[in-house]
Amino acid sequence: MALKWWLSASALLSSMTILLVLGFLLQSSWPLIQQQGATFIVGTEWYPFESLYGMLPAFIGTVWSVTLALLIALPCGVAAAILCAELLPPRLRSTVRFAMELMAGVPSVVYGLLGMWLLLPLLESQLNLLTGRTLLAAGLLLALMILPTIMVLSEDAIRAVRQSQRETAKNLGIGWDATLWRVLLPQAWPGIRVATLLATGRAMGETVAVMLVVGSIDRIPEPFYNFLQPAQTLTSRIGREMAEASVGSLHWAALLFCGLMLATMAVAISLLTHRKVAAV
Amino acid sequence: MNSQHLLARDTISKGIVWLLAVPALLIPTIVLCYIFWQAAPVLDWGFIVGTTDGAGFGVSDGIFAQLLGSLLLAVMACAIAAPFALGTALYYRTYASPRQQRLLTAMFNMLQGIPPIVFGLCGLVVLVNLFAWGVSLISGAVVLAMVVLPLLVLNTLATLERIPHGYTEAGMALGLGNGAIIGRLWLPRSWLNLLTGVLLAMARALSETAPIMFTATVFSGVVWPDSLFSPVTTLQTHIFYLAQESNDPQVISIAWGSAAVLVLLVASLGVLARLLYKLGED
Amino acid sequence: MFRCWLSVLLLGVSLAGPLHAVAATIKVAGSTTVLPIVAEAAKLYRVIHPDLSLTVSGGGSGVGVANIERGIIDIGMASRPLSDSEVRRLNTTTDVIPVARDAVAVAVSKVVYESGVQGLSLPQIAAIYRGEIRNWRELGGPDAPILVIDKEASRGTRHVFASVVLGNARARAPGATIITGSNNEEQAVISRSDQAIGMLSNAWLNDRVRAVAVGDGEHAILPTAENIASGRYAIKRDLNILVPKNSSDDVRGFVDFLRSEQGRMIVQAVGFHPVR
Repeated sequence: MALKWWLSASALLSSMTILLVLGFLLQSSWPLIQQQGATFIVGTEWYPFESLYGMLPAFIGTVWSVTLALLIALPCGVAAAILCAELLPPRLRSTVRFAMELMAGVPSVVYGLLGMWLLLPLLESQLNLLTGRTLLAAGLLLALMILPTIMVLSEDAIRAVRQSQRETAKNLGIGWDATLWRVLLPQAWPGIRVATLLATGRAMGETVAVMLVVGSIDRIPEPFYNFLQPAQTLTSRIGREMAEASVGSLHWAALLFCGLMLATMAVAISLLTHRKVAAV
Repeated sequence: MNSQHLLARDTISKGIVWLLAVPALLIPTIVLCYIFWQAAPVLDWGFIVGTTDGAGFGVSDGIFAQLLGSLLLAVMACAIAAPFALGTALYYRTYASPRQQRLLTAMFNMLQGIPPIVFGLCGLVVLVNLFAWGVSLISGAVVLAMVVLPLLVLNTLATLERIPHGYTEAGMALGLGNGAIIGRLWLPRSWLNLLTGVLLAMARALSETAPIMFTATVFSGVVWPDSLFSPVTTLQTHIFYLAQESNDPQVISIAWGSAAVLVLLVASLGVLARLLYKLGED
Repeated sequence: MFRCWLSVLLLGVSLAGPLHAVAATIKVAGSTTVLPIVAEAAKLYRVIHPDLSLTVSGGGSGVGVANIERGIIDIGMASRPLSDSEVRRLNTTTDVIPVARDAVAVAVSKVVYESGVQGLSLPQIAAIYRGEIRNWRELGGPDAPILVIDKEASRGTRHVFASVVLGNARARAPGATIITGSNNEEQAVISRSDQAIGMLSNAWLNDRVRAVAVGDGEHAILPTAENIASGRYAIKRDLNILVPKNSSDDVRGFVDFLRSEQGRMIVQAVGFHPVR
């Protein structure tokens, strides 16, 4: 039964991947937890030379950059999806959609290049900042990156609303505005929510583009909502420090713990996505 | 009166939608044009087939070695992931109990959400250090295989789902076993769509930078890796290093050129996948 | 199907096997300050030894040391002396060989330099990095906040700079605005800003990135060739390569090439000072 063996083995192995990944991360970051308890998670200082591995600055940076990106990309992306699905003539619609699908596939490192050589000079000259490398730069770049994803998936959701419902609304004399708010968006909402959660996951885990523009300094912005300051994200910290930590050191363990945090957040997001889909 | 009021509200809502949507559609387009505009001065045949010697940050010559490394990694990643993905999807359709099916779906949805850099970390810990494979082609390929695995599995599942039930039932009525149903009914019918999935996975593997940064690449010195255990240079990391490290306009234009080539490569894989998909539908 | 894949994989491995045996490889990684020397030398060495596969990558001194310890590279590059604990771990297995001499310049943006900040004392530089001086006005420059550029903690340039300026190789710099990695990255930031200060290997200075003289008043010293050679400039260091004692002849050959007269010429051409 070579066939059954192959199928079962690959199913087992592939589905174990996620457990293996989480297991290895936990096992490798265990020395840090063992030595410092869980207090370092809420610590505000990261300084490997003094064995300070506070996770809070990078965590806040990650949350901030993702929030900024969503605040920009969500309204724009959904509006673009509405425009595309409801207002544009079909011919133009398929062109625009195809272009957006291609944009969704643009490699993130290209966005990094754009960030360095288009966005940073622009920010520096327009906002009169000390340096363009700020949370705002990271947020804008991430917004640009997740916008096509949000737009494409939201458009799918809006177009999936049955034509009969649109016509019923029209026959009842409800205007376009009310149809949009009372029929289309509520019906499409589960799909838009999934799009948002997927985009959140992508923005959270983005590494190279963010580490080029965020400034990489392990400090909580002062005051904490000041997104015009340089900061650090979990991914950018891993990207900048991983290669230089010696294997098995506390620093190494701390960086792997950053990875574990990212993975845990990703799993949480995917559970949230999944539950919503199941509820529909 | 009432209808006028409604009309006014309609106009306002439409106005808001246009106002938000137009930048959302225009800015990405402008950005895309900007990349090609910046890349135009360096893009020619010599740029693509030339190799850089690595000294002085690739100022001279082309990106042949990087292109080769990227493609090699992507192809290997798919070659490693594909049998597992196909096997898993077939298991899901044939042997799995409903409970196992739910579990598998949940696992792969989770796996798909894991940030690529996390796979890079695991690759560094397990493959590069524990297995002592070093920074090498094989480490990078395995890490990328993990990144594209959920995509391939979910895509294969969707393909198998589109096979009409009647088709399979007819096969079972004829007394065909699982092997025959897979080999004679499913695969001949859906291989084009499966290939679509592989192409999309390749496009994904070509787009990733973070997971291979610590596991597979060096800055320079490789054109064709000597073995599975040699490092490679890739287009993605090349762009990254040039963007981060350089200040020289000429080098930056090489970075733009590389970016344009990478975007074109990924986009053409996407278009090819779409064509194949359409072909498979007919 | 499965057998088909298996045979493809096996074919791949069997093709790769013999190739592996034919060409010797030398992997070099570490300090981006040393990188140009080795990269340039490697370019020439490849011409002499076309059968050899020589890869060079950066990452920083920390990466060079860590990877030599892990045994995954053949030559490490470090732009700083090894720390005590590193010496303890490595001195029985690894040779530290200086290939060049370099100064860490205190570099400022062109605008700052031309508006009059052409020399800083060590306490002044320390005050900037501790966050006690935050505006160029306080140092006789323009009325603009200082963009203080720190480097990643493992960078050799930072070790040398921090030990001379801040008194401890591992001292913190609470005044820092942003963190950069390699010399190239920092050079790019300084040259694009009008109010930046940073620590930079001497070889990366240019028209838009100027070195200030370091020291008090008339005793301020610029990192010129003579001052580095005579040792008068304070923030200086050796650029080292780390070579395992049990290296192959191929690796030894390349190391000897680096130390030969030709190697010294490369060092000079790249902008450093050869070690005699």
